[in-house]
Amino acid sequence: MMELLAALEASAFATWVREGSTIWAYPTILTLHTMGLAILVGANAAFDLRVLGVGRHIPLAPIEWLFPAMWVGFGLNAITGAMLFSADPIEKGTTALFMVKLAIVMAGVVLIPLLRRAVYRRTAIAVTPLAKTFAALSLLVWTAATVTGRWMAYW
Amino acid sequence: MTRLDVWLDAVFATTTLDESTIVFLKGTALAQWVVSTPWVWPTAEALHFLGLALLVGTIAPLDMRLLGFMRSVPIAALKALVPWAVAGFVINLLTGILFFVAAPDQYMHNLSWWFKVLFLAIAGVNMLLFETTQRSQIQAMQPGDDTPGALKAIGAVSLVSWLMVVYWGRMLPFLGNAF
Repeated sequence: MMELLAALEASAFATWVREGSTIWAYPTILTLHTMGLAILVGANAAFDLRVLGVGRHIPLAPIEWLFPAMWVGFGLNAITGAMLFSADPIEKGTTALFMVKLAIVMAGVVLIPLLRRAVYRRTAIAVTPLAKTFAALSLLVWTAATVTGRWMAYW
Repeated sequence: MTRLDVWLDAVFATTTLDESTIVFLKGTALAQWVVSTPWVWPTAEALHFLGLALLVGTIAPLDMRLLGFMRSVPIAALKALVPWAVAGFVINLLTGILFFVAAPDQYMHNLSWWFKVLFLAIAGVNMLLFETTQRSQIQAMQPGDDTPGALKAIGAVSLVSWLMVVYWGRMLPFLGNAF
């Protein structure tokens, strides 16, 4: 495993991300990761708040597009996240905080389709107690993912 | 970018206002507290990113509606999310003040920060225009109606300027002449 991480770290791409003296390397990838966060966590927060009772006059059917928006944000961050990881794999791959963040993100990703299916059912589109539970969990999990992600820069 | 940096340096060369502001802010008890307490900066950064997601996430659906998407959703219904955008903004204003007071030279002498402030101002003026000039337009709209050009422009300016605020904020450590 360590050899694999070392090989990744030594690769031409990882070296470019880490050491490239252009704003298109690390800075732009990191900024795209922040844009992805805004799309994913932002769209998720807006939908969670609606399910939890904020803006209860917003009809549910026309805001189902927030889910594909979440997947766009997630896709962007999976790609940019893998790029950022490649720049520093030995350090990140052995850091507890990074592993915790990954686990939290996985929980969040599982919650996305669960929440969608709890609201948009074949028989009816409605806020159910189950949907409220998933929405509250979602809000909590993506908050934790954002905080642990940001803290990776410090601890 | 480089030419603009030279221009910014030239502006600051004509005044000592920046130096006296920096000295004053760094001497405040708030700045001392931020600098000397290790958990404050990382915690404020985490909150700043949560505020960012909350602000962008709750304002973007309204912007999309103003642009003419999801016409079956009443604009008034989407405005119920605005207080949450305001909450995100207030979190980021407060944490932003912490950063600025603790390290004023890193921000004042960085062109990226001035661009961020510029787009914040554009977003603010745009929001004021929306709140003060468009009320009757919105009330006259029927469910399913497309939005008039003025509302489309306001939605586009809002979406672009908030993304620009995020862009210049995140690029701040890498662009310009500070850090």
